Amino acid sequence: MTAPRQSPETYDSHLRQAIYRHFIREGRAPKVVEMAKALFSTVPKIKAGFERLAQSHALVLQENGELWRAAPFSAVPTAFPVRSGKSSWYGNCIWDALGIPAMLQQSAQVPAACGCCNHEMVLEVKNGKLLSQKGIIHFAVPARHWYQDIVFT
Amino acid sequence: MLLFRSEQHVDRWCQQWNRPRGGTLTLNQGWRLAKEWYADRLSPKWRPKTTAEAQAALARIGLVGEFWRLSG
Repeated sequence: MTAPRQSPETYDSHLRQAIYRHFIREGRAPKVVEMAKALFSTVPKIKAGFERLAQSHALVLQENGELWRAAPFSAVPTAFPVRSGKSSWYGNCIWDALGIPAMLQQSAQVPAACGCCNHEMVLEVKNGKLLSQKGIIHFAVPARHWYQDIVFT
Repeated sequence: MLLFRSEQHVDRWCQQWNRPRGGTLTLNQGWRLAKEWYADRLSPKWRPKTTAEAQAALARIGLVGEFWRLSG
């Protein structure tokens, strides 16, 4: 529950943690209205919090103000699914797909594919180690331009 | 960033999309990068990395040089 007179920083911290809890529990992104209900807040306040977190690159939003990305999670299906036990999520890219088991500290499978020929490449993380070693990751965009077009990056 | 079977498949993708070749990582470097970036993401104290912190994280896994320079 949110306190009545908390600072924007504290509010945003609670909001950010609630977003991740929802992703982890439900396997999908929360809607603005769901966050308002979960934090006993209002839709305008949640939207304002989303905006502040997006400005700091903690989130990426869709044009309608709903979540697109809370890295490493993607709110929309991608070519980078991640499975752990009975749970599953989508990463935004191969970095983020590996970031999900790194963040959750859980074993996981990443059923990915070669970006060139779509050959299946299943990566497996087990007990904190990446078991798969065959393959290579390519960054097309130089680091200084990563946030200019984060979707292409 | 994408996953590829080999260097040759990276080259083929670059040719297909008329893109210059970028930077590449081994899978082990990719896993280390994932841990550098996301291991603390669920902490209530998490905040986005400063440019200097992010640059240092890249350097720790061997990503140095012009392609990996975050500012400028």
